Amino acid sequence: MRQWIIPVFVSLWLMGCGEQTWQTKDISGLMPPLAFDLVDENGNDVTADQFLGKSTLLFFGFTHCPDVCPTTLARLDAVIQRLEETYRDDIQVLFVSVDPRRDNPATLSAYTNAFGLQFTGLTGDKAALDELTRRYRVTYGYGEEDSNGNYDVSHSSAVFAFNEQGEARVLIRDSDPMDAVAADIKRLADQ
Amino acid sequence: MLPTQLAKLPRSARIWCTTFVLIFGMPGTLLAADLQITDARIRLLPGDIPAAGYFTLTNTGETGTTLIGADSSAFDNVTIHQSVSQDGISSMQHVEQLTVAAGELVELAPGGYHLMLMKRKHPIAVGDEIEVTLLLDNGQQQNVKFRAGAPTTQ
Repeated sequence: MRQWIIPVFVSLWLMGCGEQTWQTKDISGLMPPLAFDLVDENGNDVTADQFLGKSTLLFFGFTHCPDVCPTTLARLDAVIQRLEETYRDDIQVLFVSVDPRRDNPATLSAYTNAFGLQFTGLTGDKAALDELTRRYRVTYGYGEEDSNGNYDVSHSSAVFAFNEQGEARVLIRDSDPMDAVAADIKRLADQ
Repeated sequence: MLPTQLAKLPRSARIWCTTFVLIFGMPGTLLAADLQITDARIRLLPGDIPAAGYFTLTNTGETGTTLIGADSSAFDNVTIHQSVSQDGISSMQHVEQLTVAAGELVELAPGGYHLMLMKRKHPIAVGDEIEVTLLLDNGQQQNVKFRAGAPTTQ
């Protein structure tokens, strides 16, 4: 028994000293820094450097998505509301619509306003969206139109998180527990 | 008060006739007593963006029950959908029918099965109760009140 005491004590001490780890998927160094050339929800051309200075949560979706997109955005909203106010101002959520045909600036603006101040809608033409989705190794595509002209859009379901300098930090998935998401977003805002 | 033909019948036959008419004659009110619906809610999104409907279906009966569709006087079009995720990419599939085995429950919940409610017929506010009729494969139907919630409803 006694021969275990020192190793156990030393390893516990080392763990305590070790650098804090991310609780969702760490993508530091695996994904490129934030860069895009898009149109915002007011119809203005914007680039990623205009969004530096705050931690960024980047999500690809479309507004005519009744289930997955609002579920993810509602989770992010719940996590942001749990933060102290000083942290809340350091977080922004960029909702990139990969369905520019239906998501004009007015639709995007009404949509993101429904989720909160931290949410901003962006979209772009096919070339701009292709470049951005390729950069983060995700895909999107359009389903067949039904008789009402409605169609589904496939899109990445994860949220890419960047620090204030626009460096990629974590990938947040729907299966991640809320506490883990909250801890990582707080850490991002705190950096 | 009764129609003349019915009034001519003996009293006991009249009672049986009336009972029979009341039980079997009311269209659309054949309730699926063995199917319990709980936690029915709609997540509203702004403008004319489709809303999602969620609820839990519990089959307390002896046989399986199959949901084949839904209707609502508040929406032009209601369909059953399922969100699926493969290799990190989400998409939606139309669901033709959803069977709940005897004694089982199926949750229509965020990230999985849900109702997609399209084209509002009138404005709907958070807190409103919206009636939706669930259609079953045996011809039965069940009216359910859904509570309309904010976009941030989980």
